[in-house]
Parts: sequence; C-alpha cells; structure tokens
Amino acid sequence: MHFTRRQFLAGSAAALAVPPALLRGPALLRGGETAPQRRPRIAALASTYHKYAHAQHIVDRFLEGYGWEGRHRRPEMDVVALYVEQAGPDDLSRERAGRHPQMKIYPTIAEALCQGGSALDVDGVLLIAEQGSYPSNDKGQTLYPRYEYFRQIVDVYRSSGRVAPVFVDKHLSWNWDYALEMVETSRAMGFGLMAGSSLPVTWRHPSRDLPWQADVREAVGVWRGGPDGGDIHVIEALQAIVERRRGGERGVRAVQALRGEAFWQAFDAGSWDAGGWDGDLLHATLARSHELVPSRPTFNHIFPTPEDIRRMAPDSYAYRFEYADGLRATIIQLNEGEGQGVVRDVNVAARLGDGEVFSVLCHLPYRSLRNFFSPQVRHIETLIATGTAPYPVERTLLTTGMTAAGLESLAQQQRKLATPHLTFTYQPVQQSMFWRS
Amino acid sequence: MVDRRAFLGALGALGLTGGSAGADSAAPRKKIALVTTLWEYLSHGQHMGDRFLVGFPLNGRWQRPRVDVASAFVAQRRDNDLSGQRAEEFGFTIYPTITEALRCGGERLAVDGVVIIGEHGDFPMNEKGQVLYPRFEYFQEAVQVFEQDGRAVPVFNDKHLSYSWQKAAKMVQDARRLGFPFLAGSSVPVTYRNPPVDVPYGAEVVEALAVGMGGVDHTAFHVYEGLQSMLERRRGGETGVRAVQLLEGDAVWKAGEEGRWSHRLLEAALSRSDSLGGDSVLDSRPQDLVRSGKLPSLIGEGDTARAVMIEYNDGLRAAVLMLDGVLGDFNAAVRLADDEIVSTQFYAPPEPNVAYSGLLMAHVEQMIVSGKAPYPVERTQLTSSVIERALDSQQAGYQRLETPEFAIAYQAPRESLFGN
Repeated sequence: MHFTRRQFLAGSAAALAVPPALLRGPALLRGGETAPQRRPRIAALASTYHKYAHAQHIVDRFLEGYGWEGRHRRPEMDVVALYVEQAGPDDLSRERAGRHPQMKIYPTIAEALCQGGSALDVDGVLLIAEQGSYPSNDKGQTLYPRYEYFRQIVDVYRSSGRVAPVFVDKHLSWNWDYALEMVETSRAMGFGLMAGSSLPVTWRHPSRDLPWQADVREAVGVWRGGPDGGDIHVIEALQAIVERRRGGERGVRAVQALRGEAFWQAFDAGSWDAGGWDGDLLHATLARSHELVPSRPTFNHIFPTPEDIRRMAPDSYAYRFEYADGLRATIIQLNEGEGQGVVRDVNVAARLGDGEVFSVLCHLPYRSLRNFFSPQVRHIETLIATGTAPYPVERTLLTTGMTAAGLESLAQQQRKLATPHLTFTYQPVQQSMFWRS
Repeated sequence: MVDRRAFLGALGALGLTGGSAGADSAAPRKKIALVTTLWEYLSHGQHMGDRFLVGFPLNGRWQRPRVDVASAFVAQRRDNDLSGQRAEEFGFTIYPTITEALRCGGERLAVDGVVIIGEHGDFPMNEKGQVLYPRFEYFQEAVQVFEQDGRAVPVFNDKHLSYSWQKAAKMVQDARRLGFPFLAGSSVPVTYRNPPVDVPYGAEVVEALAVGMGGVDHTAFHVYEGLQSMLERRRGGETGVRAVQLLEGDAVWKAGEEGRWSHRLLEAALSRSDSLGGDSVLDSRPQDLVRSGKLPSLIGEGDTARAVMIEYNDGLRAAVLMLDGVLGDFNAAVRLADDEIVSTQFYAPPEPNVAYSGLLMAHVEQMIVSGKAPYPVERTQLTSSVIERALDSQQAGYQRLETPEFAIAYQAPRESLFGN
C-alpha cells in the first residue's frame, strides 16, 4: 500500500474544485435555526438488507421507531427512498417497503437520491455498505463499496447543485486515499459527514467517560479478533475515549502489527518499553469483561492465566500505535480463529497521568434487538436535522487509516510503518456521546 | 489447595502484581461455610460459591476472594456434583450436616460467615406452585449453632427468605434477636442497569411497574425485588404492603384498560428491553408494542399473561407484569410526582458467566469482612411475602387479599448499590 503523501490538514482547501453555488444546502441544514417546513426525507443506500444486517438495524429504526429514553421514539424524518444492491432470498427490503409505503425502492443510487426525478430530492443520505458478497484483497480487507456509493452520491450533488448530509456506516472505506477524499469532498462541498461504528456510542459499564483533558499515557483495547471488520470496532472504541486527552487529537505517527511469536513476546514483555504493553491495562480490560470464555471446564467466570490465553487464542495479534503526542495504544485481538477465544466483548483501559487506570466495557446487547444501533441512529437524526455531525468524522477518518495501516503492517511481515498521513489534528466534542440515559 | 503459585504466575503478564484490594492484609482472613442444596455447573451454588474460590471482577480489577471457604454442606450430590472436586482443589471440607460445617468438624462455631444457597435441586412443589427449598430449615440450623455456641456471624441467604411469609418473618426476627448481620435476596437489585438510574432518594413516587417473564414464584420474585430496590427509596421510606392480587390472562389487559396499571409506564419499561418477542425475533425489527395492539397475541402458546398488583400502605401502587413471549429481560418504570418517569433495564450479563453473581457476592463478602449488611434484609422479607401472597390470590380465585401482616417498614440506604 502506498500512503498518499498528501497531508490531511483540518480545514484544508478542497482537493476538488467546487463552484460556490454547490455549497448551498437547504435552509434546514444551515445551523438548524429555521424550523424545517416539512419532515426531512432520507435516502438509504444498502449493500444488503436482511435480518441482522447493519442496514436492517439502522433503516428499521427510522421506519419502525425504537426504544429511547423511556419512549418508543419515532424519528421526525422519513426514509423515502431505498437502494439495495444485493437482495437475496433473505431480503427484507420488499417486506419493509410494503408496510411502509412512503419508502420506495429504486434500482440505482442516483434514482434513490432523486426519488426517480432528475435532481437531488432528499435531505439526508444513509450509506450502509456492510455485509453482502464482496471480494477481499490479500490483506484480508473486504472491498465494501462505500467509496463507490459515495462517489455516486457526490455526482448527484454536483449535477443537482445541492447537497445533503451523509452518514457512512463503520469505516469510511477500506482504502485510506478513498476515505481521505470522502472527507475532503464533504468539506469542499459543504455537507455534513458522519461515520463510524456503534461502539463509541453504546452503553458502557461502568457508565463513565475519560475525564476531559485527562493526561493519558497509554491505552489498551481488547476484543475477540477479526482482521479489518473486527479491528475498526475496537480501534474506534478506544479512539473515542483517548481523543478526550489533554492537548486534543494530533494523530498517529507509526504502527506495528504483531502476530505469531512476535505477539507472544510482546505478551510476555510486561511494558511498552519492553516491546509489549502495560500489563495492568490488559488486566483491567479483561476484568471489565462480562464474557470471558471460561478457561477451565466447570467454571463459568474465571480469570485466565497467561497460559490459558496462549492455549485459547493461539492466533492472537496486536497493533501497537504511536501517537504524534507520545500516547501509546495497543489493540489486542485475542483472536478466536479456530480456538475457543478468551473474551467476547470490547473493553478499553487507559493509564492516566496520575497512575490511575480508567477502564470500561463497551456493551453490545446481542438479543433479538441489537439496540446498540439505537444511539447511533439518534445521532444520525441529529446529523440530518442540523446538517452537522454530532461528533467529528475525522475520528473515523483516523480509525479507518489506523485499521488499514495495521493491516498493511501485518501484510509487510509486521514491519513498523511510519504513518505521516495520520498525523492530523481534530477537535473532539467535550460532551460525552455514549448511551447514558 | 488453592494453587497459590499458579495464581501468582498469572500475575506477571496480566499485571496482577500489587494493588489488588485486600489481597494481602495483616488481619487474619475470615472463613466462611457454604451451605447449598446443589453445586452443579451454573447452579446458584456453583456460580455464587465459586466467587469465593476464584474471585470476581470488582472496580476494574479481578479481586481475589478476601475470605476463605473453610467448609461446605451440599444437600444433593448427584452425578454432576462439583463440590467434591472443588473441596479437593481449594482445600475445604464437605460435612454431612450444616452443624458440622459451621463447626468445621469441631465442637464450636468455627467460621466467620455463612452463605446459604437453597436454589436448584430436587425438592417438592406445593399446591401453590412453590418449590419448597429448605432455606428456612438451613437458616434455623445455623441459628441453633449460634445459640448453642454463644456466637453469631453474618449470614447471606440467596433469593427469597422462604416460600412462607411466617418463616421469612421468623428468620428476620432471629437475626435481630441474636444481633447478626443478615443479607438476602436476588442479584437483580445489585446488577447493572441500562441506563444507570435510580429513584432519587426521598422522591415522591406516584406509580410503578416492572415487566419480565417467567413464573411467579421463580422469576417474578427477581423482577419485583429489582423494582422494590428502587421504590424503597421513596419519600417516607418503606411502609409495607396492604394488599396483593394476582391477575391472569384477559384480566391483565382489562386492568390496563381500567388504568390499574399504566400503559405509559409499560411503554417506558419496554423501551428499555433488548429482547422483544414476536416480529423482533422474526427479523430483529423494533416494535411499539403498547400501541400496536399486538401485546396479547405475543403471549406464548400454553402461557398466560400475569400481573402481581401491589398496594402499599402509603398509597403507592405497583404492578409486576410477567409476559412470556413478549420479552426476555427485566425492566422497570417509576413515575415521580413531577411526572418524570425513571425507567431502566436490570441488565443480566449473559450465560455462562452471569457476571451479576460477582456483584452480589461482592456485597456478601463485604458484609462478612465488615460485619455490616449493605442493605436491609426487610426488603427481601417484603418481596418474599408479597410473592407468596400473589400465589395465595391465585388459589383464592384471583381475589385481592389484604395483608395487614406485611406492614414491614424499613429505611433504604441512601447510596445506590447497583453495579456501575
């Protein structure tokens, strides 16, 4: 992978020349001072729409409403257009369109955005390209067509002379250059762009955030593995916490992946300086878990020994990230692979300047309802109602780049890679955005 | 024996060295007796008893037990029994009687705490549908030892105090009489909540509702005790219950139409559920079940909707709805005087870990170490009594039964003690 030499600078001039006229959105998108004359209309673009697909979870919450703060909340906006690229035998989109006649299914992205007309005719776009049959590359990245969908959205914006905010589910793209272009394009054309995983916004146990402007020395995030798709979730869970540290986010300057013997050497090292990570932080993440895989028969909840971890997750791997301001963070994927695995939930811990350890479980309720999509949808409502993302898309730009760079290091025999393209700054929001009420 | 070397071996790479609260202390470690009906995989005896052998997570650390299991009594040791293996590995002795367990085979009480877990195992069921777990009998045997030996130690009793309100009352009286700390009940009051909210201490509460699934004796107890742990914080403190009625089937829905329980509170409680049934199971869609009219149709085949209707002495009314097929978790909603509604899910982390047992056992351990019960046993006396009386109501043709004997008054601790 050749990283682009182009540095990403916050608020940089557009890479794409866009006529000023295109920067004009509908009135409701400018600061939200003016109450919309009508309910905002949304186009949803989905790679697939089956039970437990991300599109099902997200679009369903607009169609059916969802439990929120003691009510069955009905978003004050409507999904009126849907594009589904892969509709197999388990497709639900037809059933949904049948029960929700305000939502029409269109055969192309452009037609969905224009509701069959010739110009943009919606006030927001959901881009949900996760799941479905797509090829993977030799780095293990699934080539989900988020960038391709995004380009088609932008084409409609250009030809229509109008823009609308866009939500991109999960990564911005598997490809850093694409992701950067997506963010720069939204800046240049002046539309709100929000992206990412539900991990940063779901319940936490305990229900706590990193103190704003805390001094953070080192952080660890742990999960069950899954290169690429499983990586970005835990990277983003960690990033949403550490971005609150003193000095704000200044990006990541290097990454090294560890797998095989190198991982186990790091595992035994006991500290970052010795080539591993702060053992207290791995301990804290596992001690927050509600779903440690029992390491001994007949015991249901027992703390694994280092030998247990080697046995249960032999193909574990890690990414060691060096941030531009000196912060060190390790994503430890106690990979299930063919083994039992060690931990089934996402946990993050950070060593603060005073030596204290901050740690949380990011709770994903996996029942009939996958309600961790509810806070994400609530934030998407804010994006569409105000035109502004409630938290910066640059977080997901960074985590997209961190994920791709980690996989690149894995592919390059775990070589440590400088990541000058990831040393950009962004300002996180002070208000905690995870689900608390 | 506890494999101390293996335990310490785990410390290096996982950063367990130093600082684990109470791991080493100058004071002699306290000993407990575990008294259980059963010690099989995922029985309460196992998942709670094991906490005192292998520890539990607490405040972001894996906490080694601060007390040692010295002895155990296990009533039913069947093919799947684990107690023999545990005794061998962790170095305690299983005695054939409770008395011997409490005296560790000697002449006098030889433990500093007793943990009674009388859940699971083969025990008869009475005509009311209550399994006759011998918690009262186990407790009485412990009390006898305390009396004979002239010393009493803290006792924890898992779940209901007893299937009988009179027996429950006697247990509380005995603990008062002998002056030992007594803690009881479900893990639901101390488990995690989503969101982590409570009734503000001293708030005026107008009405309350909890919703769950399962049988009245076995499961409504859990849901109700979760709700009660919120309601006891209301203005004036707990005053007890004056009447109980069980409703079943259409009577449940009719009571809702008549305003005897609140649709608004049911909406609030269901908004907290992660596990709605019907179409949510079919294709994971969220549902507005209170308005859709689908609620009654979701009750499973062969099941029936049930509601425990509770009238308190201070005028508060509460309903505990048991709706099999509608949901698979426990949720509550409480309306305050300013019309604000506090609603939450009592979140039970999944099997096999059932991490809530660590939260409950942390309170038990703290009681044994400190000699002070963290919350009043009268809560569980009240919930045990109300659940029994709901079954009496069923036996009496679903009559409303007055309960002057349930004037159980107590003050809740100000601090919220659920997991966070």
